[in-house]
Amino acid sequence: MSLNYVIAMLLITLGLYCLLFKRNLIKLIIGLSVMTDGIHLFLISMGYRTGGIAPIVTGESTSNLPNFASRAVDPLPQALVLTSIVINICITAMALSLSIYAYRHYGTLDPSKIRRLSE
Amino acid sequence: MIPQAPILAIVVPLFSAFLMPMIGLLSKRYNIDRACDWFAVAAMVGTLIIVASMAPTVWGGQIIVYKFGNWSPPWGINLAIDALSIQMALMIAGLGTLVMVYSVAYMQRDSRRDLFYTLALLVITGMMGTILTGDIFNFYVFLEIMSVASYALIAFRRDSSGIEAGLKYLFIGSLGTSFVLLSIAMLYSFVGSLNIADLGAKLAIYRGAAQPVPTILVASLALFVTGIMIKVAMVPFHIWLPDAFTAAPTAVSALLAGPAAVVGIYWVARLPYLPFGLPVGIILVSLGLLSMIVGVLMALTQRDFKRMLAYHVISQKGYMVLGIGLGTLGSVLGAQGGLFHLLNHSIYKSMLFMCAGAVLYRTGSQKFEELGGLGKNMPLTALTFLIGSLAISGIPPLNGFVSKYTIYLGGIEAGLPIVTIIAVLVSALTFASFFKAFSSVFLGQRPKHLRDIQEAPKLMLFPMLAMAVVCIVIGLFPALGFNVVGPAQAAAENSAGYIGHVIGGI
Repeated sequence: MSLNYVIAMLLITLGLYCLLFKRNLIKLIIGLSVMTDGIHLFLISMGYRTGGIAPIVTGESTSNLPNFASRAVDPLPQALVLTSIVINICITAMALSLSIYAYRHYGTLDPSKIRRLSE
Repeated sequence: MIPQAPILAIVVPLFSAFLMPMIGLLSKRYNIDRACDWFAVAAMVGTLIIVASMAPTVWGGQIIVYKFGNWSPPWGINLAIDALSIQMALMIAGLGTLVMVYSVAYMQRDSRRDLFYTLALLVITGMMGTILTGDIFNFYVFLEIMSVASYALIAFRRDSSGIEAGLKYLFIGSLGTSFVLLSIAMLYSFVGSLNIADLGAKLAIYRGAAQPVPTILVASLALFVTGIMIKVAMVPFHIWLPDAFTAAPTAVSALLAGPAAVVGIYWVARLPYLPFGLPVGIILVSLGLLSMIVGVLMALTQRDFKRMLAYHVISQKGYMVLGIGLGTLGSVLGAQGGLFHLLNHSIYKSMLFMCAGAVLYRTGSQKFEELGGLGKNMPLTALTFLIGSLAISGIPPLNGFVSKYTIYLGGIEAGLPIVTIIAVLVSALTFASFFKAFSSVFLGQRPKHLRDIQEAPKLMLFPMLAMAVVCIVIGLFPALGFNVVGPAQAAAENSAGYIGHVIGGI
């Protein structure tokens, strides 16, 4: 299981590297997505259990509560990740549409060139 | 209190935002000219009334806890409103209303105003949510609502500088919010709860020196502070702010400089006590000092009206963070001064941006060298700008003096007189900078093409004059302000009371 956390942290570092050192708006957006996906992987790994069952309370599960509690996965991180994915889509869409406008205005996607052209 | 007031304070601006495009369509079909504008103002007035109705209960010493779906706090999501939240909520609703009234006149030359008001009301929704919520993941969601709407607002006119500033803020801001999300994830993995009161109760064992603080908690705190500081725009993270405030339509700058500043400072004030409760005072003091000095030095060299005001936003936010930092080092006056300065600064900085907007609206320019002698044409704008600049420089008897003086006293009370000396010096430099701005815009030689400039429209003057009056009234009767920030500061510090109110009701 600890492999998940290692990969999550690698993804976050990769995304951060991309955000800091890449010189293209599209690559920056990819970096942002990779970074948030790393965070999502981290969140979802927290709630995961090998051989777990869905945490839905039925008549059967209430009769054997200790078994249910020891096997059910934690549903909260899944809810959090779903919310966060939707938010991330909004940000990506926003960034892409702004990049389209930036390309129309400046004819380039290089942030440092955009900066020089605007002055 | 209006029944269900806590949730209505969020729902009213949210639903008004989504009704706005429909109203835009209807007003186009039936040729009602300004339906969207007045609907937005009405929504904000409604929000203000709802928030104000909660104030007497909260100031009476209660903490309002609103449970979604009647699930008890550690399991369900709840809103918790104490004196600190109510101060911020009142400021957001009040200043938001004035900014909307201002936009009615300022945005009238733009097309698709319905979309502008949709986004502006979404920003208000996000701010209200971050202030009122008692659940840390909920806070993140509202923070993102506010951020995404403000990225769009900055680039609203789709001009080249707006696009550039919007993109810049988007990348830096999203990095900050991702840090907040990672911090919340770490906190959840360590404690297993998302409720702020529950987190505070479970982390209370690390508050003293008895238990060593685990690394994951320190990492989580560091990420959270970084994320918040990017939103507050303290100096190492400030680069997005001057561009954004210069390029955005001025009504948006006023909205972001006044109400939106509240959100970051609210969390700076909350953070030392809940949910982490770890000592961050010295970090806040040093970041505050750095921002004060760098902000004012950068402002002195600016030649653009709005860019100068933007650097002063950074510098003045430094004062607030400094005051709150002094508060965690044991000075009650410092924390009260910080919160009081937030109140005052939001009022006069919105007003100053509105003055700059009025000048830009009438002359079409915001460069100092193209302006001059406008005091004759726009006497009321000049008067409000004068009041605002005296207030921001801390000249008695205006409100800026009271809060700055309280922070000076806080510096001495905390045993750091050097902080007070630096704060006084920065205040003098602020005065120099505003003296230059006032003389180059409103005094001196008037260029020929500016001879026929008229006074700003009445709808712009009304919020400006209202804020100027508030500045003078708070300056003359500072007890009014202390009656608000006193309970707010006490509530921020009283984490045990907050936990008891929220969790205790099971």
